[in-house]
Amino acid sequence: MRLELRDVHHVYAAGTPFEVAALRGVSLTVEPGEVLGIVGGTGSGKSTLVRHMNLLLLPAGGEVLVDGVDATTLKKSELRRRVGLVFQFPEAALFAPTVDEDVAFAPRRLGLDEDEVRERVRESLGLLGVGDLAGRSPFALSGGEKRRVAIAGVLAMGPEVLVLDEPTAGLDPATRGELLDLIRHLREAGVAVVLVSHDLDEVAEVADRVCALHAGRVCAIGTPAEVFYRDPGLAPVTVRVASLLQESRPEIGEPVRFGETVAALSALSGV
Amino acid sequence: MTSLGQFYPVASPVHDLDPRAKIVATAVLVAGLFLIDSTVGLLFVAVALVALVGASRIPVRDFLRLLRPVLFIVVLTVVFQVLFSREGTTVFQWGFLEVHAGGLRLALFLTLRILLLVGVAGVLTATTAPVELADGIEDLLSPLKRLRFPAHEVAMMMTIALRFIPTLGEEAEKIRGAQAARGADFSEGGPLRRARSLVPVLVPLTVGAFRRADELAEAMESRGYKGGEGRTRYRELRFRARDALALCITVLVLLIGVLL
Repeated sequence: MRLELRDVHHVYAAGTPFEVAALRGVSLTVEPGEVLGIVGGTGSGKSTLVRHMNLLLLPAGGEVLVDGVDATTLKKSELRRRVGLVFQFPEAALFAPTVDEDVAFAPRRLGLDEDEVRERVRESLGLLGVGDLAGRSPFALSGGEKRRVAIAGVLAMGPEVLVLDEPTAGLDPATRGELLDLIRHLREAGVAVVLVSHDLDEVAEVADRVCALHAGRVCAIGTPAEVFYRDPGLAPVTVRVASLLQESRPEIGEPVRFGETVAALSALSGV
Repeated sequence: MTSLGQFYPVASPVHDLDPRAKIVATAVLVAGLFLIDSTVGLLFVAVALVALVGASRIPVRDFLRLLRPVLFIVVLTVVFQVLFSREGTTVFQWGFLEVHAGGLRLALFLTLRILLLVGVAGVLTATTAPVELADGIEDLLSPLKRLRFPAHEVAMMMTIALRFIPTLGEEAEKIRGAQAARGADFSEGGPLRRARSLVPVLVPLTVGAFRRADELAEAMESRGYKGGEGRTRYRELRFRARDALALCITVLVLLIGVLL
């Protein structure tokens, strides 16, 4: 499916002295099967933005379209299934006595029969590499394990777009790498992924397109190279290294991913 | 936005009063309202309360909204008094329903009393920041320290409880959102089903609250927090002439109310 936001505005505590305009006209699309990275400083509106993607928050202005259809006309449960939203620190919402009960919550709410529910639970725990934790209590797991169980809980709905709000915050490098592998795997399976992150290096690694937010507006959107080379001072390390060399050696081009930068540097030095 | 017991942060002479004076005045008024036995007396206190709200610079509309939660109790009281009282002349009769003048008078009297009780307490909480309130209560309770009453600890617990209400609210909102994203619906079905749908919110909220309590205790200990003895305050409370004046006016208003 194609998810489109058109001129979305959002105001918190409208009409009170505490009023804050969090989004001031955001337009962007999430194309089928792409990985869209969303970057921006704290308070730039990233988390508010992703809550509009499944209409947990209703826009004060503008509209959200699913395959060209106004999302407010869809059934809420249907929209929430098709656009899976994983909150920041999703492990804070684990509640069931066992891991598989927790992951089964969403598919059960969809009204699937018990065999299908079990199959989905097994499958999504497997995708996250935590299949062996199924019978454990979610409260007795490590931070990284909890995080993966919580993501599996959303994946079990079989979403067409998976929105991850800072999924790797506070994780160790190994778990982080596994999550990036999962994102690549989902893209191959045709699931679109929206990745909100402060870690530009990981965005550079997996994103097909990048959207940069600033003060509730989109300040840049395009391929990682287009967005990151516009302001290399605020770019992933790979881009900063390449742009430093660009002045003297323009033939280095505009590499973004780690592998690309290594290859470009090797070509320069003739190794 | 505003609800009963919420602090309304504006600058006013009432906000500036010493919280101890405000707490004592409120306690005196609340107790004194039960000594007033005439509607005229209550009306006099009501006029004084209106003047007080005016001086506190809380918009009247917001203050009235503050009284809304007790509307149900008021309506219930009025209905019971009007329908079941058999005092005075009959004003109205329809089948077995009889409305007597005495019932109407009593209904008005009780309505005024309830609204005044809530209104007086409302002015205190609307004009006193929670931290000031806790400081004031600590000071007022401190004579009890001689009887080994842990005044500082009680006040600290109140401060922490008040401080974490908005935090818990935020957390609850976040968890609700996360469960809604997994298809939870909190508005469908009967009361039992709706209560059950709250389990996925209440369990993580409780777990989170305990975790937060542990973290806070550790953070306080690592900053060297140690109970009441010898502890000083950043904001010292000062009881000034105007605080004494405010107390005198309160007692005066109450006396006139009782005599009327």
